[in-house]
Amino acid sequence: MADIVITAASVVAPQDVGRFRFGIRFGRLDPFCQLGLVAVEALGIDFSTQPRSEVAICVATNAGSLSTDVQYWQSRNEPGGVSPTLFVYTLPSTVIGEIAIRHGLTGPDLCLIGGSAELLDEAADLLRRNEAAVCLAVYCDVVSSSAAETIRLRAEARACAAYLQRGGSGGYTLTKNDRDMISLCARLCSLREKDHHHGRVGCRA
Amino acid sequence: MDELAAELKTRLIQTLKLQGITPDQIQDDAPLFGTGLGLDSIDALELVVMLEKYYGIAIKDIEEGRSAMGSIHTLAEFIRTKQSLK
Amino acid sequence: MEITIAACGAVTAVGETVDELLTAVRANTSGLRPCGRFIDPVYQSNVLGATATGTDGDDPAFFLADRALREARAQANSILGKLPSNRIALVLSTTKANIEALERLTDARPCSPTARRHLQGQLLAIDLAAAHGAAGPVQCVSVACISGLVAIEQGAKLLQRGAADAVLVVGVDCLSAFVVTGFSALKALDPIGCRPFDRDRCGLSPGEAGAALVLTRGKGETAVCGWGGSNDANHLTGPSRDGASLALAIRRALTVAELEPRDIDYVNAHGTGTQYNDAMESLALRAVFGDACPPVSAAKGMLGHTMGAAGIVETIICVLAARQRLIPGTPRLSSPADGAPEQLLKEPRTSVNVRHILKLGTGFGGVNGALVLRHG
Repeated sequence: MADIVITAASVVAPQDVGRFRFGIRFGRLDPFCQLGLVAVEALGIDFSTQPRSEVAICVATNAGSLSTDVQYWQSRNEPGGVSPTLFVYTLPSTVIGEIAIRHGLTGPDLCLIGGSAELLDEAADLLRRNEAAVCLAVYCDVVSSSAAETIRLRAEARACAAYLQRGGSGGYTLTKNDRDMISLCARLCSLREKDHHHGRVGCRA
Repeated sequence: MDELAAELKTRLIQTLKLQGITPDQIQDDAPLFGTGLGLDSIDALELVVMLEKYYGIAIKDIEEGRSAMGSIHTLAEFIRTKQSLK
Repeated sequence: MEITIAACGAVTAVGETVDELLTAVRANTSGLRPCGRFIDPVYQSNVLGATATGTDGDDPAFFLADRALREARAQANSILGKLPSNRIALVLSTTKANIEALERLTDARPCSPTARRHLQGQLLAIDLAAAHGAAGPVQCVSVACISGLVAIEQGAKLLQRGAADAVLVVGVDCLSAFVVTGFSALKALDPIGCRPFDRDRCGLSPGEAGAALVLTRGKGETAVCGWGGSNDANHLTGPSRDGASLALAIRRALTVAELEPRDIDYVNAHGTGTQYNDAMESLALRAVFGDACPPVSAAKGMLGHTMGAAGIVETIICVLAARQRLIPGTPRLSSPADGAPEQLLKEPRTSVNVRHILKLGTGFGGVNGALVLRHG
């Protein structure tokens, strides 16, 4: 079975959002999509050098769009009614669209609810089947205080990302014990703590 | 100085959450859609909500909305026309 | 390795069972009706695909999914009964899970802890798995309107990896003020009900459904033999105008299935009834099939757009039809649009042998999906 190699990983939090420069439309994105994009940005990959039609995007999220759902639904009684823009962000998979648009990635997509433990397996399987040459795996979770209160979840905001390919040298080779995306990215990023720069790990070739 | 136009520029930035752009960087006659600011169809719908929320104007017809939203200038004219009819 | 569709179950706007669904397919009827719950002027239209019963409680998502799973499992009893429960997996496909609970919680209306729990797709999936004897892997897939196709693909992969010996694939989404309000704000609804590929089409019609398949390994009457996906990378809600990305997803699916375009006997389109989607699909089909496009039809005029259930319930329609040597028609289609596929079927076609079927899907976020089925 072919080795799956992680060539870049990142761990980000809301305070990292301000560290990156995005275009004038970045403000339109909901906090969930913003954090997901930042996790990808923190990988430091120049996608113009990548086989973009062969880059799959796999996302896992625990709460999905629930924070934006709450915000959207609470806005219905305002004059003019709900925000059409906000409605578009009431899907956990919209972040895939934002990542794909920003970086021109036309490969296949997957979004799992829950699944930080399945994400790496699914990304690896996809690569072994040759359904993509590279996989951008992103875990993102944003629970606003409003959503936490309404739905009784724990408020939090965090994201991590990994860039996986089949074979190749350099980078970190996935082992059978690497079951969970969050803990693996945290471990990879803390390996080079002194190189910690925008939350991006230095585990590239 | 067209106060309504100035106000609309601020509202636009606020409503559409535009980042890194100030009201005086938006020209009165610059196209809002397509080229110019490059707004899209979802933004158009958002502006329809804005017109209702802040100016009490309901747009029922997509075509009416489209011609009103060509630029800040046409939008200001549209609002003035609608409000004088009330 | 063959992945067989061993059984199916569905609760839709045209019936409580797959038999009733097949009856509607034969008769080419539409289940879209004015829906009393959505009379308020905030809704651009109230012509929707509602199921007959059971969605007025606080947990309609669980209710519909559960019903569909019961029907499917009853059909597959002889297979499932022989398997240890930890060899049975469940994959749930949904875009909004039990969104009803969010409406109730914000309105301070009664909402049980279970209904609230089912706001989270993975917990809904876990509870459905527990209720249906699936102690193997559980996944919840949520990729906008292609969720159903992706869930079937995930089920097939679990089987091929040996992670399970049977997979319950279930899709559900319910009509909700949340969703109908949103599409109204986007002015995306057809006031009189959707008309896929029609010259006068002007929007979609939300619908609700619970739909389930049982997938197993090995030979069977109907198999899943290919899948493919792509992203437009263009705009969040408007499909890429040239259909090139959907065409790419189709080619990827054909590659996995080891087939050529000429091997496809029927295409079941996504066909939402919006200007852009149907035009784009027509272009994608032309890009792949050229002048030799096989018969095409679409189901959303019958069931409405059932979102997370769509990929599954429309695949079930393909399976049911193929078994009856039937190609479904396109309910609510009157005059095909210019540029629509040559063999766009208004009415069903009978006494045809359909061996390979292509099922398409597209969704918000620029996602595209294609599934290839083999019958016989």
